[in-house]
Amino acid sequence: MAYSELIKSFSRIRDYMREFYVYGFKSRTEYTKKSARSYDDERRRLESWLGDYMQFRQTGDGKQVFLSIDSRVSHHNPFYKAWKTKSFTDGDITLHFILMDILYTPEIRLSVPQIMEGIDGYLASFEEPKVFDESTVRKKLKEYVSEGILETEKQGRTILYSRAQDRELCDPVILDFFSEVSPLGVVGSYLHDKTREHEEYFAFKHHYITGAMDSEILYTLFQAMQEKRTVSIRTVNRRWERESENELIPLRIMISVQSGRQYVMAYNPRFDRISSYRTDNIVSVRTGEVSGRYDELREALSKMQKHLWGVSTQGSSGQFLEHISFTVTYGPDEEHIHQRLEREKRCGTVVKLGPDRSRFSADVYDASELIPWIRTFICRITAFECSNGKLEKRFLDDIREMYALYGLEGGDAQ
Amino acid sequence: MIFSELYSAYYNAVAGVLKEAADHPVTARELRRIAEREAFGESSMRIEQALMDEEWQLLRKDGTTPIRHVPTMPLTILQRRWLKAVMLDPRIQLFTDDIPDDPEVEPLFWPEDVCVFDRYLDGDPYEDAEYIRHFRMILEAVRTKEPLEIMLLNRKKRTVRMTIVPEYLEYSEKDDKFRLIGKGNRFGNVINLGRIVACRKYDGTVTTEREETVKDRHREVELELWDRRNALERALLHFAHFEKEAEKIETDHYRLRIRYDKDDETEMVIRILSFGPMVKVVSPDSFAELIKERLIRQKRCGL
Repeated sequence: MAYSELIKSFSRIRDYMREFYVYGFKSRTEYTKKSARSYDDERRRLESWLGDYMQFRQTGDGKQVFLSIDSRVSHHNPFYKAWKTKSFTDGDITLHFILMDILYTPEIRLSVPQIMEGIDGYLASFEEPKVFDESTVRKKLKEYVSEGILETEKQGRTILYSRAQDRELCDPVILDFFSEVSPLGVVGSYLHDKTREHEEYFAFKHHYITGAMDSEILYTLFQAMQEKRTVSIRTVNRRWERESENELIPLRIMISVQSGRQYVMAYNPRFDRISSYRTDNIVSVRTGEVSGRYDELREALSKMQKHLWGVSTQGSSGQFLEHISFTVTYGPDEEHIHQRLEREKRCGTVVKLGPDRSRFSADVYDASELIPWIRTFICRITAFECSNGKLEKRFLDDIREMYALYGLEGGDAQ
Repeated sequence: MIFSELYSAYYNAVAGVLKEAADHPVTARELRRIAEREAFGESSMRIEQALMDEEWQLLRKDGTTPIRHVPTMPLTILQRRWLKAVMLDPRIQLFTDDIPDDPEVEPLFWPEDVCVFDRYLDGDPYEDAEYIRHFRMILEAVRTKEPLEIMLLNRKKRTVRMTIVPEYLEYSEKDDKFRLIGKGNRFGNVINLGRIVACRKYDGTVTTEREETVKDRHREVELELWDRRNALERALLHFAHFEKEAEKIETDHYRLRIRYDKDDETEMVIRILSFGPMVKVVSPDSFAELIKERLIRQKRCGL
């Protein structure tokens, strides 16, 4: 098939976007094991949509393509553009603008034969007028009713179609902000396209934009949660290049604003436990039956969250809960360190042990999730304990390894 | 459906063309200009060809159209449901008192369906009337670029008076705070909205000389990374919001270059430390020294 800038399905381009943006160090040959043409087409598409952010580097292994985006500078998530590339037929677009013009105000109510007649009138002025059969038009009308842009009403045995009421759109500034910070912000971007261009008033710091690529997955999960339905998800383990399928009851979406990762917390009946699944590892979601256990399981998750630092519901020690604590020291003008503990803790408690010392402690399902955070206090940690002995040892070994990494391993610190 | 041609750049471009054609015959040049504005790098050729060759029977060869009205489309259910979900966000009160309701649809998600689990706990008070008043006044001043006089509680809990010409508002999802970025403030051009105690229009003149741009403040740090315990993926995702470059040196060994704002250097130091021995700063030396200094102090703590 000839190359087209537009695509039918989002899944393949999603993988390439992720590779080019998150990784960006693979050469063409690493992508082309399966299909060289597919790589060339997807790269060309991304260059067309996101050319301003695309960069190239020539190495011994060949040309490497990567996307480099400073999200603090761009006011709108550039990945939203990719969601505006759905392919369509010549008939789809022709019919769309004609139907919207025939039914240009909600007061006009027409039957299918009346609409068919109207369509012919529009096309008559072309040299070779298209001919739409009635079933195509009916299908399109039905699709637009389900999207909510058309409505139906019965008059006797005849169905009449009309345009849905136009609604006043909110201040575009609201869309500027929430399309960047709210889940499924791409929908805000669709709304934004309806507004006039205006000056930008917002910028975003620590702004992760990768979640946009998973919008379709998130949308389906939200749909299932609203209807309390089970889902069947196919996930990929990228390291081992393996895919697996799980039947789940999705309970809550967990979002990290410190890594941009999104997870669904879900009950897995096969293991009889609630676990997390990263949305960027979910390849597809299918909704299933309504579950009678949704409310009970969601309540159970809420109770569990008191002992969750991140999303892991099981540590490596096999203990139900792992205890972890550490103490930091600070100077008389460093009270902000104590404040940091208070501000950044997600569970657990902070106790002031004296004017220059504070201790954090928590009982969590997986203490390893706290390690990166605890390392941010390096230079002032005076004690560290964990009921998971292996984890405690590894933390202390890591610190020693860091001393070695910077040539500080020998003798006492000066 | 979330991935639908109804929201596509091509439909938007064609709507733009038909809007012009409803007013006057559209020229090929005009058509290309609209397509370039609304769609992508390679779109204009395709859109022009499809319209001019009557593959899409919406524009006649003379640039006129049988479409009689400026094209519009009502909001889809998806859009209405997303808006309804947004209206449940406490931050909406910053923008309006008049929160519209759409009783015919359910929100796309409820607040309790989503949990941001690593946001700092001392975020701005979005439901505080005084904070809302300051936010709106500042947003209006950002629109008009009119100077403001602001009274602020500094870190030492002293009240400081300052004047500033507002440029834009910056929001951090991690800190859950808004900051006003402006010009002409001798105490610095970043003001945390949460620290403001009073705010009003300033009638005087605020001098704004040439000040540092974002680019002036860019610094670069180069890291080496050993891909143990999934460190590569964790680091690339964690630093994803910066301009960055990753390069493979050998199996499980990578080089990362990250551009950051010099004002955020301390934050960068602790973010790099969080990766433990899997990441080492290799340049600049001054940055590596900051890490070393912390490790030396840590060694003195006896661990």
